[in-house]
Amino acid sequence: MAGLTLQLLGLQLFTGVALGALYVLLAIGLSLIFGMLTVVNFAHGAFYMLGAYVGLWLLMHGVNFWTALILVPLAVGALGLLVERTLIRPLYGRGLDYPLLLTFGLSYVIVELVRVAFGNTGYPVDTPDALQGAVDIGVGYFPLYRLFVIAASVVVLVGLWLFLERTSFGLIVRAGARDPQIVRILGVNVARVWLIVFGIGTGLAGLAGLLAAPLQGVIPEMGGPILAEAFVVTVVGGMGSLLGAVVAGLLVGVVVSMTSLFAPEMSRVAIFALMAIVLLLRPQGFFGRAGLMS
Amino acid sequence: MSGEIILRTHNVSKRFGRLNALNGVSAEFRRNVITSIIGPNGAGKSTYFNLLCGALRPSSGTIEFEGRDVTGLPQHRFAHMGIVKSFQITTLFPQLSAHENVRLAAQVRVTIFDMWRPRASLKMLSEQADFILERVGLGHRRDRPAALLAHGEQRALEIAVALASEPKLLLLDEPTAGMSPQETREMMDLIVRLAAERTIILVEHKMKLVLGISDRLIVLHHGELLAEGAPDEIKRNELVKRVYLGQRDH
Amino acid sequence: MLLGSATSVALDVSERLRGWLPFAQRRRAWLAALFLILFPLVAPFKALATMILIYGLYALGFNILFGYLGLLSFGHSALFGTGAYFCGIAIAHFGLPWWAALSLGVLGGVLAAAAIGVLAIRTLGIYFAMVTLALSQCLYYLFYQATDWTGGENGLTGVNVKTINLFGFGLDFVNPLVHYYVIAAFVIVALFALSRILASPFGAVIEGVRESEARARASGIDVVRVRFVTFVVSGAFCGLAGALLALHLSIVPIETMHYDTSGLAVMMCLLGGMGTFFGPFVGAAIFLLLENLVSLYTVHWQLIVGAAFIACVLFFPRGVWGTILQRSRT
Repeated sequence: MAGLTLQLLGLQLFTGVALGALYVLLAIGLSLIFGMLTVVNFAHGAFYMLGAYVGLWLLMHGVNFWTALILVPLAVGALGLLVERTLIRPLYGRGLDYPLLLTFGLSYVIVELVRVAFGNTGYPVDTPDALQGAVDIGVGYFPLYRLFVIAASVVVLVGLWLFLERTSFGLIVRAGARDPQIVRILGVNVARVWLIVFGIGTGLAGLAGLLAAPLQGVIPEMGGPILAEAFVVTVVGGMGSLLGAVVAGLLVGVVVSMTSLFAPEMSRVAIFALMAIVLLLRPQGFFGRAGLMS
Repeated sequence: MSGEIILRTHNVSKRFGRLNALNGVSAEFRRNVITSIIGPNGAGKSTYFNLLCGALRPSSGTIEFEGRDVTGLPQHRFAHMGIVKSFQITTLFPQLSAHENVRLAAQVRVTIFDMWRPRASLKMLSEQADFILERVGLGHRRDRPAALLAHGEQRALEIAVALASEPKLLLLDEPTAGMSPQETREMMDLIVRLAAERTIILVEHKMKLVLGISDRLIVLHHGELLAEGAPDEIKRNELVKRVYLGQRDH
Repeated sequence: MLLGSATSVALDVSERLRGWLPFAQRRRAWLAALFLILFPLVAPFKALATMILIYGLYALGFNILFGYLGLLSFGHSALFGTGAYFCGIAIAHFGLPWWAALSLGVLGGVLAAAAIGVLAIRTLGIYFAMVTLALSQCLYYLFYQATDWTGGENGLTGVNVKTINLFGFGLDFVNPLVHYYVIAAFVIVALFALSRILASPFGAVIEGVRESEARARASGIDVVRVRFVTFVVSGAFCGLAGALLALHLSIVPIETMHYDTSGLAVMMCLLGGMGTFFGPFVGAAIFLLLENLVSLYTVHWQLIVGAAFIACVLFFPRGVWGTILQRSRT
């Protein structure tokens, strides 16, 4: 009996990590955008949803999943570039609330546009053939696709880390996040940096949406709850911290999946309890600080 | 009453991450005396100043006010006890009129959470505000939004707002910053007049001004107390002279 | 072209207002009361008028926190919804009289605000919007799952009040006009209360904290406590609005607690004009009228509203009423 429970715990843990991987991708995007632009992107859930739908559309038109993995973040990121350039840029200097409000309004527009294109009902998305089935990971059989989600997230994270640590652009991002004034004085085109960072952040959200699609299907409202959950992750981890996003994302994912094992009714609420505890004990989050890359 | 100690710091230090801004500064401030804190840029004057008014908490050490340990209390408590600061970079309620800026500061001492009485009925606060505005020479600018005042007028309003909090100890952070020579003279005269009834601590880096009106000087350097004493002693102090060598405004 | 004529209408109104403005500001609650009393006689649909009243009050409660204090909360649906559910449960489950239920509704809003406030107020400014959204989402799930009390997904039914007994007089609450005036009476009382609060010493403190927290703190204001109290006051108004909604609809839909409803408050306030007295009602009217009008032509009215909101953020941050006010001052 005990062995069964241990196996079950282990499998549930992995499910939590897979869920956490998605949270990490979302939270990193949010943190990057906030760290650089000081904008809380209330449309982040909408971009996530958009990624899922763009993926669906590509798959419906015969594009294979692997190509979609590349195209979706590019497409969503491109939209992010457009949004930053035309809608958010005019608002810099008007106070922290305005870009937030704009992204909030934008989320309504994006969701409704998707409803126009695809209707109100949800669609299931098939797991790609190569990733179907389950794999023995020691504690039992675990869905291959979920392993893939974890692996894909790790790859993306490593790529992002290399980009930020090893490239000169990445250096500017890190410096700009710590002190935007200095970066401007040094003659760097901050506007362009912000543009690209917003594109990267939204692209990550779109990728998360695509990865999530085979797990839960797609529906226009899917961005809403995920936004609240992504906020919990950033509050717990500390806004603007990459490490915080990773740690908190995984923690939240595990908390959700473990609670759904022991007390399914409380699984959706458990993460808010976690957030409440963090707020009471350490309001700035585990790794919270104004600068990125802490 | 003059001469007794009103504020004292014991071995106060302040660290920001790995930066040691202030290291074990112990000093005493006496009642009804003008004490100036001076030192070259980066000496820790602002940090020390902000510790004295409660805007920052010391990483170690204690602060005593009128014999009570006040270390770690929030800034608004400091203000209620009578330790009031003015800001180096003008910090006012920008869209409120000069009158309202002062009236609100005065009102805070009477009531904050009264939601019922019309504030217009608290006439004595309004009168008090007008009186203070006259004292600092801003009576004619009563109804102007603070953001639209001239720079010198804004600095005067800063003082007025601080006065409205009925300070026992008034902390002035570079009150003449950005002022013309005429305005600076007026401000200095005002400070001397104010010193008659209350204790004043000044942070200034214009040495000439400070030597003229201070009763005591505290010199900081690299976050530590370098010297303290009467202006004449400090002027003759070799260490201080060396530290200020190369500073243009002696 | 449409924008051009709309602007000229607005300018025209501003011109006329210029003379009346000081008078209007001093008598704002009376003017609002007068308007609300006459409103149903000119408005085509009584139900819409009542909805504007209720959501206007909701937006008003939100405006206290956002427009006057400057704190952007995305969790006001929790205050509104808790008020609605407390009132509804009092009537549907306990058969309490209407005045007790309304009071409980206000209390519900206050408690929800206190609970969320305790956690959210201590956060740095940027977190506040996120934390309030998350916490109200949490309350949404809790209410959703407490099916025995709240009816869960289907909402709370049975909030039926047929007559309002007032000092011996029985008012027929089923009659649409009576219905409107009863609700309007409460809204008018709320407006007078708000006017009073804004004119009080606390109102001055709220303004000060919005203008400069640093200055407020240095002058002896406990900024965290002021934020908390303002949040709770905001909760009282939103709770009342929620309770009135329960009475009006005779049901409490679960969507009342949903974050979309939080978004409604934000939208209405911005559209109408935040930090102004009449702005929230103007915003509620614009929003609901738009919704009703546009949904005659298309089911995708949210697209239009979202676009209008974005336009406001970019070009008319003071909202319709706020822009009119501003033009008439210069």
